[in-house]
Amino acid sequence: MILRQVTVRQDHISGGAFVIAGIIVFLLSGDLPLGSMAMPGAGMMPKLVLVLMIGFGLALVAQAHKSPPLAALEWDDLPHAFCVIMAAAATTALYNLLGFRITMALMLCGLIVVVERQNILRAVLFGLGIPLFIDILFGYLLKSPLPRGTFGF
Amino acid sequence: MLGFSVALQPDVLWYAFLGCLVGTLVGMLPGIGPLAGISILLPATFGLDATKAIVMLAGIYYGSQYGGSTTSILMRIPGEASSVMTCIDGHAMALKGRAGAALCIAAVGSFIAGTVGVVILTLIAPPLATFALRFGPPEYTALLMLGLIFLAYMSPTSLVRTLLMAATGLLLGMIGIDGMTGHFRYSFDIPELGDGIGIVPVAVGLFGLGEILSTPSRSVTDRVVAPRFAELLPTREEWRQSVMPIARGSVLGFLIGILPGSAHIISSFLSYALEKRISKNPQEFGQGAVAGVAGPESANNAASTGAFVPMLALGLPTGPVIAVLMAALLIHGVPPGPTLVNDHPEVFWGFVASMYVGNLMLLALNLPLVGIFVSVLRIPYAYLYPLIIMFCILGVYEVNHSTVDVWIMLIMGVVGYALRKFGFDPAPLVLGLVIAPIFEMSLRQSLVMSNGSWTIFFQRPIAASLLTVCAVVIGLAVLSLVRSQMDWRNSIAKDL
Repeated sequence: MILRQVTVRQDHISGGAFVIAGIIVFLLSGDLPLGSMAMPGAGMMPKLVLVLMIGFGLALVAQAHKSPPLAALEWDDLPHAFCVIMAAAATTALYNLLGFRITMALMLCGLIVVVERQNILRAVLFGLGIPLFIDILFGYLLKSPLPRGTFGF
Repeated sequence: MLGFSVALQPDVLWYAFLGCLVGTLVGMLPGIGPLAGISILLPATFGLDATKAIVMLAGIYYGSQYGGSTTSILMRIPGEASSVMTCIDGHAMALKGRAGAALCIAAVGSFIAGTVGVVILTLIAPPLATFALRFGPPEYTALLMLGLIFLAYMSPTSLVRTLLMAATGLLLGMIGIDGMTGHFRYSFDIPELGDGIGIVPVAVGLFGLGEILSTPSRSVTDRVVAPRFAELLPTREEWRQSVMPIARGSVLGFLIGILPGSAHIISSFLSYALEKRISKNPQEFGQGAVAGVAGPESANNAASTGAFVPMLALGLPTGPVIAVLMAALLIHGVPPGPTLVNDHPEVFWGFVASMYVGNLMLLALNLPLVGIFVSVLRIPYAYLYPLIIMFCILGVYEVNHSTVDVWIMLIMGVVGYALRKFGFDPAPLVLGLVIAPIFEMSLRQSLVMSNGSWTIFFQRPIAASLLTVCAVVIGLAVLSLVRSQMDWRNSIAKDL
């Protein structure tokens, strides 16, 4: 028996992801009423769109032979992207607790010094000065004060 | 006259100037486009009235089309997606020592195209709005369907990918309380999701943060070709070569701008292709052809003006940027659409007149101050992107003072990163998100009106005409799909 080697292609993965996501959301839509044609319910449009989404996902998988192999994707930027998103997530989590000035100063200094390995002194000046300037701009000129944290900064 | 009496007020002029300035910067800086720029600055307009807010935000949009050409010409990096074509011949001109002439032709072309666009907008938007007063739910359903089909047909990526993105956007737009029955849909007991997912977190996440995640740290300062002020004036021959491309780009751009999709991007590509095809010396394209700068730059500016026609006259967004501008008007209690010109004439005409003034301001900003703008490009990217992330978080949070929105933005940033990796264009997703509530409501109201009969769409002349156009566009798309499939099979057969 001759086994044909199948190359996994980019559209196999992306199309498959949309199909799986569509099926999961469809299962979550069980309690939404379809209604009737004369009085469509809350579930009619989402289910119609989900059917289309699954259909388009399958069409993408069917056309996947034209897309580049999955192995051709370059992930060199992934570590940098991961650091950036983690820094942004930490900032979001601490935003209400520490307030605008402190969280943003920490994020700017963290990204510039730790991720980008730039000069510490310049990074600290930049990291402290910019949030302070923006805070004053929003608070006094735009009359839209930015959040203060539990420490009152 | 009403428009100019509004637009020439000192405070409106100030906000138009601010919008043009920020737009130029947004267009120049790689990693932040007009969508992210407008979304981030949207909360800053909450304290303003509707006219000043829309004047400033629209200034950012058309200002970014001007600014995008600067980085394309001087650095061969498109600050904005619509400036990609300008990179080719604009930078080639810069390498030949004609950077100043290329910048001047791009700025003058953009000015002429922008002004021509505003003149046509002034002439056609009010009658179109009067005509649109005849539209009921079936007509809106047919029009939105046509918009989605045009979007897929005109998209630079594949038809299936575009439709997949639009469907995902439509689905996201259905999160929250159903307007007709009061059912909660996909809100998972999170109160903030009851109102649905906002366009700002999605747009900033996909286009602002997503772009940063896809852009590895780099320094771009060493590639700037800075022109001297004295070199700005093109020669008589360069002017002669740019006249017709500017005229053709203006008309082509405006017409494409009215259609849904990434019009300002498509128009610059089409203009470049047109100029190359009709040129007597097509071999010059890529080597610094003046028409390769004048045509695309005029087209993208005219398209950004044309895109305002469906928004102002019909209340329909043709792209994600226009959708955010529509959201801005709604936030300020001014619903865009057929009634805008009668109910809020000061906003409508003030906005139109401000575009005449804005185009003049941009011409003044972009030529003499190009040296100052170039110095902004020397900010190291390692300092620039953390600053953009800060503005993304700040801008999204300030809309509703909600960290849930910021989390949605972060998730959308990761989604945008993944979509870019797999070659998807996220713009149709944002468009789908915006039109979802109008589309769903119109479709369901049409069915209720007809007691469940689909024939309502064919009994009304306007809806039937629009659906006929839909069928023609689908037919054309299927035909080209079949042709490409046959070509592919033939090429495989030849290889074997």
